[in-house]
Amino acid sequence: MNCVEWQERIALHAGGDAGPAEAATVEQHLGECAGCQVFWSGMKESLAVLREVHAELPEAAHFAAMRARVIGEIEGSRHGWRRLAWISAVAAMAVLAMTLWPSRTAVPAPQRMMAAIPSAPLVVSPARPTHVARVRPEKREPLTIRLQTSDPNIVIYWIAE
Amino acid sequence: MRTLALAAMAGAADGDEAPSGLLDAARAGDLAAFERLMRRYERLVLVTALRLAGSLPDAQDVSQEVFLKLYRNLGKLEEDALTTWLYRVTVNACYDLRRRRGRRPESPVEEAGQLAASGDDPQEALTAAERRRVLDLSLRMLPEKERAAIVLRDLEGLPTPEVARVLGSSEATVRSQISKGRVKMRGFVERYFGRRS
Repeated sequence: MNCVEWQERIALHAGGDAGPAEAATVEQHLGECAGCQVFWSGMKESLAVLREVHAELPEAAHFAAMRARVIGEIEGSRHGWRRLAWISAVAAMAVLAMTLWPSRTAVPAPQRMMAAIPSAPLVVSPARPTHVARVRPEKREPLTIRLQTSDPNIVIYWIAE
Repeated sequence: MRTLALAAMAGAADGDEAPSGLLDAARAGDLAAFERLMRRYERLVLVTALRLAGSLPDAQDVSQEVFLKLYRNLGKLEEDALTTWLYRVTVNACYDLRRRRGRRPESPVEEAGQLAASGDDPQEALTAAERRRVLDLSLRMLPEKERAAIVLRDLEGLPTPEVARVLGSSEATVRSQISKGRVKMRGFVERYFGRRS
């Protein structure tokens, strides 16, 4: 066939892809050109054989194998995420426990004693020594607390061992 | 291999459930629903991949990649766009496979050489089986974009606008790819049998 410039238009028309105007033009040329008629029939035949060749499908087992691979992959990734979530949860709990542990074992601060005396001027003497722990037992003296009441004639002494 | 009619019957039995219901269930984490969704679209993906990649192991690798991608993108996809999306991802996965592999272990050019060397009797050579094989080979020898356009238009039967959407091209480009591809295939067959006779 010598009409090379017609080949692509004929190929398009053979597959039903040419517009109406283009199809009419091609049909007119085919009516006048024997070489293009041969090309046209060869093209139609090629397309039919190609469709026939590819009408056959793989066996069902190949589809099933592919599905199994995909499902296996998804399940594997799901288990992986679960494992990761477990490890993360355990790690978070461990960190939390380590953070809280020292505050639970710490020695509580000594409780402050508040003395409330109803009547006003209150003189406490002598003051309780702050370094109680350093006082040796043999040198310990009884603690004497003198409470001055509003009446100058009444003084209360509190002697503690 | 089994015929298209048998496979179509099997596909209809598997695909009674509406894809939107399957999509919703699969999105909610129902793996059985996702498997049913795969059954519905496996012919589309695996057969297109086979026609583009040219071998069943490659087509299975591509299909696995496509369905895993579908699983990861379930939340983003709408039912209406699902078929186009699957075709597009399949075509792109085949392009990627071809680029990753570089030269194929058995390229179509080598196969053409083997075909040309086999058989001395021209009458015997011109059998229908050989004609089919040569034509299939001619498809595989096309540049990847022309081959994709031919596979989607002539074998999958998609209309040209849909082929253009899948390939991300204009309709004019697709029509040009289709016509050039058909002419090249015809030329390959004519040259092959012209040399043999």
